[in-house]
Amino acid sequence: MKIKRNEEYNYGFLDEGSKKEIRRSTLKAVAIPGYQVPFGSRELPIGRGWGTGGIQLTLSLIGPSDVLKVIDQGSDESVNAVNIKKFVKLCTGIKTTTDTHKATIIQSRHRIPEIPLKNDQILVLQVPIPEPLRIVEPKEEVTKKMHAEKDYAPIWLQLYESIIKYGKVTISTEYPCTVEDRYIMNPSPIPKFDNPKLNMSECLYLFGAGREKKIYAIPPYTRVESLAFDDVPFEKENFKGKKCCLCGSCDTYLDEIFNSETGERYYQCSDTSYCREVRSR
Amino acid sequence: MKQLHNFSEVFDSQAVYRKLLEAMANPLRKVSIKAQADKMYGADAPFLALAMTLLDNETSFNADSDQKLTDDIVLLTSAKRTNSDSADFIFAADPEKAVEIIAHAKSGTLADPHKSATIIIKDNEAENSVISAYGAGINGVINVNISGNAKRAVSQRDAQNYEYPQGVDMIFVRDTGDIYCIPRLVMVKGEE
Repeated sequence: MKIKRNEEYNYGFLDEGSKKEIRRSTLKAVAIPGYQVPFGSRELPIGRGWGTGGIQLTLSLIGPSDVLKVIDQGSDESVNAVNIKKFVKLCTGIKTTTDTHKATIIQSRHRIPEIPLKNDQILVLQVPIPEPLRIVEPKEEVTKKMHAEKDYAPIWLQLYESIIKYGKVTISTEYPCTVEDRYIMNPSPIPKFDNPKLNMSECLYLFGAGREKKIYAIPPYTRVESLAFDDVPFEKENFKGKKCCLCGSCDTYLDEIFNSETGERYYQCSDTSYCREVRSR
Repeated sequence: MKQLHNFSEVFDSQAVYRKLLEAMANPLRKVSIKAQADKMYGADAPFLALAMTLLDNETSFNADSDQKLTDDIVLLTSAKRTNSDSADFIFAADPEKAVEIIAHAKSGTLADPHKSATIIIKDNEAENSVISAYGAGINGVINVNISGNAKRAVSQRDAQNYEYPQGVDMIFVRDTGDIYCIPRLVMVKGEE
């Protein structure tokens, strides 16, 4: 992608005051894993809800030596990912990549890459609804108090009711987890399949919610446990008997593709970069 | 016009921030901000590099009785000077005062734990005390050497008995430009 930096923008688009505030919030978020730090979310040339939280984090992090990868639902080539890459390139001139190994900052929506990330990499996740308690309590004032008092009974009750009604927990994405035995956190709309990757990971995870004006983080080697009962353990998606039609992988998160003409269903790796890497081996 | 420093508010701030983020995410890991601090001036160049990276007119700070450092920080950042019990950032140029500073620093509330102080301590003492540290950001338990001042600061922090998530986060700075962090979740056991 040949895009030259537009010198009329400040480096990283945001003014330095905005970057400082985001940086201060991010440092506090890292010091208090899972806690949602409020910040003054800035206007960007993209609608709120389209990844503005993640973009603001990325712009506050990025420097000339960084290599950026942006993925959307696992794909490097989707509209959201391509346009975010173009935007960041336009106001920084940095290198972008589709290779997970080469990236220093990875901004993602809805997936964590299949390849385990390293300690010198930062994964920035775009978050639409950062509050895991929103589903049980609509008022921000109340959820803040619930977090302060570690009052998580309603969300446990919600899981219990789901088991009673359907025989299992029916949450497929945004499956809540506990960070360092303290905060219940929304891991963003990643599938349950990716939740275990948050636990004791080598990399730093940063979560940005632009519309909701919150930043939170999981530092490396932090305990992150998906909510579960002793007698009903956490279960991630099961792709037993299925494999990627392109690379043959059977241990990755697979997208189901339906051919309406033949009625055939087949599966493909959601992480396109990983799929390409397996095929090139 | 006299130019006080060559520290770029855009690029050097970003470089210092990334080092600081690495240090905060990986507690007790030493990182160097020497390349950026060398572009500042005076005896407190690493302090000023951190101030330029983190402070602005929306933040408050305290630099104890160090008038020169206070004036420099105000000049460079327009941050508001305030008492140590209400400051967002506290610069302790004398590490022996760190214990007293920690005793009075704000630790946030259960609802707003982020409204707590970040204490930046200058410490050039020899690192002769061995400690074992564990907690978020550390893979298992690590044994590291820190100075007696740093060990006393951590002991004072523990003596405060903050109810997590309340607490204070500490950044230790050497004149060489090396920094490391001890955020509130890091537990330390001393070894003689």
